Amino acid sequence: MTEQTETISASECLIRMYDEQHEIEDYQKGVPRWCSGCGDNSILTAVQRLCRDEGLLPEKTVFVSGIGCSSRLPHYMNTYGFHGIHGRALPVAEGVKLARPDLTVFVNTGDGDCCSIGAAHWIHAIRYNMDMTMMLHDNQIYGLTKMQASPTSPLGLKSNTTPHGTYLEALNPLTVTLGVSNVSFVAQVVDWIPEVMYQVLSQAYHHKGFSFVRIIQRCTEWLPKLLDPWLHDRQRVLLLHHENGLEISPALAKSYTKMREHDPSNMNEAREIASAFDPIPVGILYRNDDVPCYEDLRHDSRLRTNSLIQKGLESEFDKFTIWADGNEPA
Amino acid sequence: MEKQLQHQIAFYLTGRIDKSTLEPVDGRLRPALLSRYADLDSLRYDFPLVLNRLGAPGRAVLSLSRMVDHAVAELGENVDHERVARHGYRIEHALRKALAGGAEDFAALWERTTAALEREDEALHDSAKRLWKAFQASGELVDAGAALPAKAVRHAWSAVQTAKAAAFRYRAERLLLKLKNILAAEEIGSTVGRTPERLQAGVGSSFAGAFDFDAMSRILVAAKPAVELSDERRRRIGNLIGVLERQKFYALETDGAEPYDFAFERCADALDAYRSRHAEAVELVKTLAVAELEAKGEYREAVHDMIFDGFGANGLDAGELAELPDYLVCVDGQTLDAAELARIVELLAAGLPVKILVRTDDVLEPAFVAEGHVTFGLRARQLVNTAIGLHDVFVFQAAASHLFKKKDALMRGLAYHGPALFSVFSGANAHTGQIPAYLVAAAAMESRVFPALVYDPSAGADWASRLDITDNPHPDDDWAVHSFSYEDENLQSQTETIAFTLADFMAMDERFFKNFAVVPKADWSASLIPVAEAFQIESKGLPEKVPAVLLVDDEFRLQRAILSSRAFFEVQRCRSMWHSLQELGGIHNSHAERLLAQERKARAAAAAVETPALPTAGAVEPAAPPDAPASAAAEAAHGDEPYIESERCSSCNECVQLNGEMFAYNENQQAYLKNPDAGTFRQLVEAAEGCQVSVIHPGKPRNPKEPGLEDLLKRAAAFN
Repeated sequence: MTEQTETISASECLIRMYDEQHEIEDYQKGVPRWCSGCGDNSILTAVQRLCRDEGLLPEKTVFVSGIGCSSRLPHYMNTYGFHGIHGRALPVAEGVKLARPDLTVFVNTGDGDCCSIGAAHWIHAIRYNMDMTMMLHDNQIYGLTKMQASPTSPLGLKSNTTPHGTYLEALNPLTVTLGVSNVSFVAQVVDWIPEVMYQVLSQAYHHKGFSFVRIIQRCTEWLPKLLDPWLHDRQRVLLLHHENGLEISPALAKSYTKMREHDPSNMNEAREIASAFDPIPVGILYRNDDVPCYEDLRHDSRLRTNSLIQKGLESEFDKFTIWADGNEPA
Repeated sequence: MEKQLQHQIAFYLTGRIDKSTLEPVDGRLRPALLSRYADLDSLRYDFPLVLNRLGAPGRAVLSLSRMVDHAVAELGENVDHERVARHGYRIEHALRKALAGGAEDFAALWERTTAALEREDEALHDSAKRLWKAFQASGELVDAGAALPAKAVRHAWSAVQTAKAAAFRYRAERLLLKLKNILAAEEIGSTVGRTPERLQAGVGSSFAGAFDFDAMSRILVAAKPAVELSDERRRRIGNLIGVLERQKFYALETDGAEPYDFAFERCADALDAYRSRHAEAVELVKTLAVAELEAKGEYREAVHDMIFDGFGANGLDAGELAELPDYLVCVDGQTLDAAELARIVELLAAGLPVKILVRTDDVLEPAFVAEGHVTFGLRARQLVNTAIGLHDVFVFQAAASHLFKKKDALMRGLAYHGPALFSVFSGANAHTGQIPAYLVAAAAMESRVFPALVYDPSAGADWASRLDITDNPHPDDDWAVHSFSYEDENLQSQTETIAFTLADFMAMDERFFKNFAVVPKADWSASLIPVAEAFQIESKGLPEKVPAVLLVDDEFRLQRAILSSRAFFEVQRCRSMWHSLQELGGIHNSHAERLLAQERKARAAAAAVETPALPTAGAVEPAAPPDAPASAAAEAAHGDEPYIESERCSSCNECVQLNGEMFAYNENQQAYLKNPDAGTFRQLVEAAEGCQVSVIHPGKPRNPKEPGLEDLLKRAAAFN
């Protein structure tokens, strides 16, 4: 993505020249407590690389999460973070963005957090189309609470809550997202191809609007073999590429030869691709840069001066005030 | 040769009238093409203009007739549509008549005019009310005249400045708020901010007795130490607030100080003002930059002190100056002396944010030295040429009659980040008798004596994108050509096409009447040819044809007047100056035409040569050797050495936890083989087996004595 080529003044130039250069270590905090081998590590690395490469200021970046293994991610980012309550990562993130549109907002949530308890917020977040990047860490299981079936668990999966196997077909987060009005960016990646994950997250970050990235992720602890057939057979991953989508590097093209050209502006084709699971489609399914963002629609250009805030509060309080003579003063 | 023709030729060559066959021209005659505009007030056209103070800068200059049209169109399919439209046109006509070339407050004149008309037609009151509501405009109503250029440009300039001021005010007030909040936050968190009294005041009167504020104060002070700003930062923020509040470039809502004036009548004054305010301007631009950093908490003394100490030493650049108001200087092109002329060029050349309007009232001013030689608005022309030569000056030239049509370019020039020159011909001079200034101005542009041009350095790097002359009538031709209909002596309608040349324009000006002589109708012959066709007149020997213009008198009778060679020479000069402007504007460019001619010649020559035989088929180019599979090559390169495909590593921590000395993460947090000798072959094989994405390749053992090798080699084979 190229910067806008506007001329800047000499003083601005000097100031930017001395901007601090960040290293990946500047964004790392603590040692992740995820199991070794967990796909969450791969996601963490990708976002840390993204922050470094985009030179995001740690104090201007927020990671918001709900509950679950996925939602521990903000703890390991040396930026602002908000480890929220179950299923409510999105409303918190929307509040942050509305109050502080200058911040870069990321949301990390899991298949249980987003697709079950938080499903209503998910639907409306797509419709609000606020400028943020959402990562759905989809390991198809509740891992933190030790193996209960989630809405995306495959049919027949035996778990602590479904000892005879699940009875329902898994929910497809991609088709759900593509079905909501105002959808503006939908992509899918797998945790074992870091190059594609990084590229897709980078494009999602640059997209102005709500970017939904589903990351198919292995749970090495509870479902160690579930995704092995796809992990070990490179023919079972379908790379989506297009000049307006993902560009496949020659090295990647040698490893993953199954490819399909897909124009991300084509919604019908996106829905068709989203419905398939084998081979797993990987890349950008849909993008529309023209959907307005809620924070822009509701932008109030007035300065938040003390007097303005006081006036607003007073008028709200007045609605509940019991006036001495029974009437509101004119 | 007939006697009449002899006299005509004699007049052409000498300018002397033989009274027996020729009549002198006087003020009763005007160019035939202007006969349609004899009663200008009864026609609907762009003027007068409303210099509107309401709304965006794009609505700063409005045309009365268009406003009426819009207001009527907005009514839609209303039953009153026709009535309001009829009244609208009537009021418009009355306003034009009442204004008579002058200027007056729109609302007041509207009020007065409609009140007078209402006396004749009561229903007009309602129409007038509806129209006025739809206008959404307030300001001055100005007709074409000597005052128009200065008024229009000044008004448009102030509309641009108002928009700039609003942007600045928002920015400055936002910064002031943020800076003051930083100081306030420090105070609230300080020991002073947490005294029992302050805490009590914060809770309000209703619960004043509900808490022990002494205890609360003790707990708060002890629990959370005060965060203090450094003295240096507090002082810096105080200074920034001071500069923003004291600045006099724009008025802020909070202070009552009168801001500086930026409109001047003389360049010297503007230059003095610019010089005396320069230090303050630098200070303000610097303050804005530092305040932005402070507000974001990004000011680092170690780095930024150094940058801002030397700030402004090289002056301010165009982007920085663009945030401050532009200087406006309106000068009269006729009275410019050499010193002022030089100063204008200096101002423009220095790249200062100055917008200069040069108004010209008379383009046919006689030259100082040579009798009969006209200057074509010499000073303005000289300035325009110089300014274009300066390369980064926005240059705008137009007759006043075209100011409305060119208002977008005018606004663009006023918003341009750098100096701009506006040269406008008002058409108001004492030499054109009863002809309104609007017509004189329009005629000057039609006749090419004052062509319209826009030179916009921001539009691109080359002439083609920068210079625009397409607003002139028929820009591809020598002259603007119009059809002209009249009735002949048999009352039959006749139509001719006539070019409007400088000769027609001169015929409007009393100073040039002596260069024209009317030929009585009886003597009209094929020897009288239109001026536009006269350029082929043989200059050797006696001419046989005489150029003539078509005029009409005050009773709308067609007349033909021949002109003297002196006048014709000026027409020729005007035409070649137009040619030269056309070339710059990319029309009939001589370089391009020369190249085209060469190219045509070369092609013709090539076509003449016999077509050579095609090369014989069958000479196939050698096929490129197929690429060797890269992965195989990579494996071969590694041979028996262990290696990791770092790019495919998913950072899962398995290997680095197994042996942090042997495996490590690179700058992208992806694993690489740090030291293969820092562990055993067994560890390599186990890491390969544990690797989720199978990117570890153990190779062959480096220590042949390691126990259990046979089994390990079997296990490793799957990963090599």
